[in-house]
Amino acid sequence: MSAVTTAAPGAPVVDLDLAELRRDPYPAYAELRRTAPLAWVPSVGRHLLTRYEDIVHAEKLPEVFSSREEGSLLLRTVGPNLLREDDPEHRRLRAAAEPPTRPRQVRDLWAETFEHNAHELLDRIAGRGEADLIGDFAEPLAAANLAVVLGLRNAGADDISDWSRAMMAANGNYADDPDIWLRAEQATRDIEDAVAEMADAARREPDGSVISSMVHAADPVELTEIQNNIKVIIGGGVNEPRDVFGVGAQALLQRPDVLDRVVADPGLWKRVFEETARWISPIGMYPRQLTQDYEIAGVALPAGSRVALVIASGNRDESVFERADEFDIDRPHRPHLAFGGGPHFCMGAWVARHEVSALAWPLVFSRLKVLRLVEGADDLMEGWVFRGLTSLNVTWQTS
Amino acid sequence: MPIVIFELPDGTQRKVTADSGTVLMQAAVSNGVDGIVAECGGNASCATCHVYVDERHGEQVGPPNDVEDEMLDFTAAERRPTSRLSCQVQVSDALDGLVVHIPEEQV
Ligand code: FES
Repeated sequence: MSAVTTAAPGAPVVDLDLAELRRDPYPAYAELRRTAPLAWVPSVGRHLLTRYEDIVHAEKLPEVFSSREEGSLLLRTVGPNLLREDDPEHRRLRAAAEPPTRPRQVRDLWAETFEHNAHELLDRIAGRGEADLIGDFAEPLAAANLAVVLGLRNAGADDISDWSRAMMAANGNYADDPDIWLRAEQATRDIEDAVAEMADAARREPDGSVISSMVHAADPVELTEIQNNIKVIIGGGVNEPRDVFGVGAQALLQRPDVLDRVVADPGLWKRVFEETARWISPIGMYPRQLTQDYEIAGVALPAGSRVALVIASGNRDESVFERADEFDIDRPHRPHLAFGGGPHFCMGAWVARHEVSALAWPLVFSRLKVLRLVEGADDLMEGWVFRGLTSLNVTWQTS
Repeated sequence: MPIVIFELPDGTQRKVTADSGTVLMQAAVSNGVDGIVAECGGNASCATCHVYVDERHGEQVGPPNDVEDEMLDFTAAERRPTSRLSCQVQVSDALDGLVVHIPEEQV
């Protein structure tokens, strides 16, 4: 089904400025939910779907809202991969890759190393009394943990971060900048080499990692498939835990009363995690392409239409979440959409929950005493496809 | 077609007709039964379709499979001996009259 890259007849056309979306997409989303819950946005080249109910509906119909989007930059960057496949192909790859990310595996195989990694990073900065918790802690922690789960013992946290950044840039390279492509090609070649080496090692000696799990899958997976899928996981696997960590930590530092409660009752960290992911979702939207004519949000879309499921908007839908723009860990339980839904439900969800809410936050807030935001620091929240803090400057008492 | 009964935490019951060959979660979701979230759409990845099978039907429904058993340790509401993920329970004519209880929380 070839992609239709124009507005569906009858779809409202809404001009949105990409720079403005990047700065703060939420006002635009609120307006879309109110006036045009399905709108063609020329600068994005897709129909944006922005209401909670409609997004959930689409997620539960993968046979109509297909993940196989033509002309996807992700396909160009990493090659065919499970994010851009539908079942049964998607299921085969997911079944091969998923076991090491299940919650019991996280607890039994990875938790100890995650904790060790977090302590090591905190040891490095503890005596300084000030740091950027994104660059000095959250990003290297996410990268080091990811290397462990993937089974890339031959790569350092810096490699993983660099690769991730190069691929994310390519993924958003709508301006077709040749330098960005070059850097991404170099990164993907490096990953291919690293994965090939570790796949060999895992063939001889299984180690419970994602690479090992794919090498030994019951339904066989080729080396290129392992390589491509590891690329995708590296692309996203650094951002999400890093961004949830940063946004949640900043939110708590701005709300000392909530922070006091959470520190006194560590059972609440789980709620902080889910509320942070709802409030500012690290992944804000993902693309789908229609396999058939289908009507949604009052608009009849022809087969081939490109749709973006804007989960960041669904997570602010006032009809589901009261005072949706507020960060409130006491809000009534309603499932948020930050992990996506249906067959593509985030494979890293259990890893991220553990590394951020069971380890990273509690350790940072217990080890760094009298933690404060640096006043006047330019800690920017940025992005709409992916959203998080670019830095988080803090100080603490060292004696 | 078998009838299954979902009992909500407040004691109210929802009687739905389920298609043999599908799974219990599907019957709940397609009939809009509150309290079955089913984020992952039935792939045993999310643990948000948790139910307690009524004691009387425990044996008939049987024990969880391996992957399910692991996920059941991480449900939002406490795990009990009769806990199942409703997306892993096949509906069959033998389950006609099945009663399952929906826990307080799924996420
Ligand atoms: S629907 Fe996700 S585990 Fe059953």
